[in-house]
Amino acid sequence: MSLRENWRILLLVVVLLASSFALFSPTVGGDSGQGTAAEGPTNLRYGLQLSGGTRIRAPLVGVTAEDVDFGGTQPPEVEQAVAEQLENATVADVTARTYQNAPSAVEVTAGNVTTQELGDALSAAGYSYDSGSLREGVTEQTRQQTVQVLSNKINEAGLQGGTVQQISTSTGDHFILIEVPDENRQRVLELVNQRGSVRVDVYYPTDGGYEQQTVLEREDFQSIGTAQQGQEGQQPNVPVVIKESVAPELQETLVRTGVAKQGGSQCTYAENPNSTDACMLLVVDGEVVNAFGMSSGLASGMRSGEWAQDPRFVLQTRNFSEAREVAINLRAGALPAKLDLGPGGEGTSSYVSPGQGESFKFDSLITGIISVIAVSIVVFIRYGQVRVAAPMVVTALSEVVVLLGFAAGIGYPLDLSVIAGFIAVIGTGVDDLIIIADEVMAQGDVSSHRVFQSRFRKAFWVIGVAAATTIIAMSPLAVLSLGDLQGFAIFTILGVLVGVLLTRPAYGDILRSLMTSR
Amino acid sequence: MVAFEVPEIDYSRYTNRQLAAVPLAVLAVALVVVGGWYVATGAPVQPGVDFTGGAELRVAVDAPDGQAREQIRSAFSPTPETIRSVPSDNTYILTFQTDGGNVDLGALEQQARDAGFQVESSYEVSASFGAQTQRLAFGGVVFAFLGMSLVVFGMFRTFVPSVAVVISAFSDIVIPVALMNVFGIELSLGTVAALLMIIGYSVDSDILLNNHILRRSGGFYESVYRAMRTGVTMTLTSLSAMIVMTIVATLFGIQLLASIGTVLVFGLAADLMNTYMLNLSLLRWYKYEGVKR
Repeated sequence: MSLRENWRILLLVVVLLASSFALFSPTVGGDSGQGTAAEGPTNLRYGLQLSGGTRIRAPLVGVTAEDVDFGGTQPPEVEQAVAEQLENATVADVTARTYQNAPSAVEVTAGNVTTQELGDALSAAGYSYDSGSLREGVTEQTRQQTVQVLSNKINEAGLQGGTVQQISTSTGDHFILIEVPDENRQRVLELVNQRGSVRVDVYYPTDGGYEQQTVLEREDFQSIGTAQQGQEGQQPNVPVVIKESVAPELQETLVRTGVAKQGGSQCTYAENPNSTDACMLLVVDGEVVNAFGMSSGLASGMRSGEWAQDPRFVLQTRNFSEAREVAINLRAGALPAKLDLGPGGEGTSSYVSPGQGESFKFDSLITGIISVIAVSIVVFIRYGQVRVAAPMVVTALSEVVVLLGFAAGIGYPLDLSVIAGFIAVIGTGVDDLIIIADEVMAQGDVSSHRVFQSRFRKAFWVIGVAAATTIIAMSPLAVLSLGDLQGFAIFTILGVLVGVLLTRPAYGDILRSLMTSR
Repeated sequence: MVAFEVPEIDYSRYTNRQLAAVPLAVLAVALVVVGGWYVATGAPVQPGVDFTGGAELRVAVDAPDGQAREQIRSAFSPTPETIRSVPSDNTYILTFQTDGGNVDLGALEQQARDAGFQVESSYEVSASFGAQTQRLAFGGVVFAFLGMSLVVFGMFRTFVPSVAVVISAFSDIVIPVALMNVFGIELSLGTVAALLMIIGYSVDSDILLNNHILRRSGGFYESVYRAMRTGVTMTLTSLSAMIVMTIVATLFGIQLLASIGTVLVFGLAADLMNTYMLNLSLLRWYKYEGVKR
């Protein structure tokens, strides 16, 4: 057994060792990165199907027109002009984008504006646009911002290991993919399904009734504290610090409108909004979630002007979970566009309980093992020779070890579809090994090296063609798929490649040394 | 250990017409089933939740089977389209496909909790997303089939043997699809994966047969027998693995693996017939008559 002759076996051993290293070494893949955590004795990462958690995949709501000619107008004015022409959208829903090297675009992220309406609005406002570019969806920047804000939200909400990413299909559709391990669907949906724009208005009496004015928006806050459970009759709240640049003006407004009147204000907005003192309204996504007055202490600080020196403030809410939501929304920011979820939406979502994931993991392992045993039994019965059949089973399994090592090395999360891919690989692998074995052992003994080589090469022609067809058959799924079968396709293709380039030639060598050494 | 041998079949007793008649008749029946299904329902096979949109819920119910089903039926509105029990862990897999596929999964989860069931997993696909997946899956299968045909033609560079492989592969796909209709198996992502795998598996034995007959020395029947020894072993090995996988995965309620297994069992069984009857008869005709012309 010379080294030169058996280099294929040697190469396989080296690759197997490298795979085992990737699988078991604590130095690989152990980083506490995003996504699914490595657990158990191996470095394998498990996808949500096998570890439990929630996955949401949805496009963003909006319509976009490209190649819009602003005619020298500044974006804010364009937004204003377009919003005025739209019945179902406000200025906040319209974004005009200009680019250095590309034509400008206008997008509307309100849910109920059609491409037709956007086109009409642009025409009515006097901006020309490329009518062929009118489409559902939003601009790339908006998608990126959304991904950023959603990641922030998930981090702020303390959902460990959650990831948000943008994926696109071959047909040019874009989706946002959110994966959160161990968390149930309802909780994640509540978190990501609202835009989360938070503002504070004052609601104050004037001569002819009540008026409402926005006084604080997200960018006016210097820092945002964590939600507090209210103590001693206090409501749950979020302590905040206002930016120094905004504080004097806010102070002035609150004093002028009567919120900070002598002795503080009593807010009865919820019960009788037409006879209450001046109130501050906490508004989330356009809805008033709470209304509150001001204590006499704070009011006097404002009246004397001391407050603006140390502008601390408390946003009160009705309950603690609301306080937590407000804090998350303020810190993460508002979503530039909404996810198209829920009945009638285009999104999909799935949830697997951690217990179910755990049993899927165990059960699919058992399924795989039993399938391998079935293959082994048939091969043993067919050949009757342990020295032909045993290396066959071992070689086929080594393909799976290499693939597992690869998955651990790059941190690819294992899902049921990947496991189906492993089983497919064992199937095609054993098929090819049977071809090699039959070919090599055909018509009498393999006496010389040359006879072996020529037979092996013949066998390899069939294997090569079969591998090429399998790779072509799987490639659309590997490239096009929206994720559910991508793992299956990728690992089947990889397995076929590993098999043809590495393990199946090595099996030929093993068989030769067993056959020719007689 | 006792080695089993693939039995040698005396093909010379049958004419090409006789040999090809059986698989072609089966293919014709399969095409009628698939075509009839298409005319009746507008789809060649019943699409599942992945493609129509809808919801799927897996709930643990603490009650004996009959009662549990009754409880499930009364707990949900709309009532589930299908209820499947998973023997290994007392859970039930429910599917909901209503009104264009748009179901409120949140409401269903709430109904499950209200009825005291534990939600083990839930899954919702919107109708439009399902339609997109359907286009993708269809395109994928067509692309895979055309790609496979190109490789085969490129490798053999002769018409009849290449067409023999392609027709066999086509039949290997159509027969399982027809059987899915017969057995009421819905098209899911798993079954699409299985159909793609059939393309890969089925050409293995066809290419092997062609290769032995066209590119090797030795008589026709001798080549056939050698190819069959290898090819039948291959298919039987895969078949046994898939039968076992289907049974085990069904017991465990791992639907993806179970559906892949079921469809592959159909496909591999069809492949045995198509390779050694249809493909073989075409090759024999080509070898003895086609080449001379």
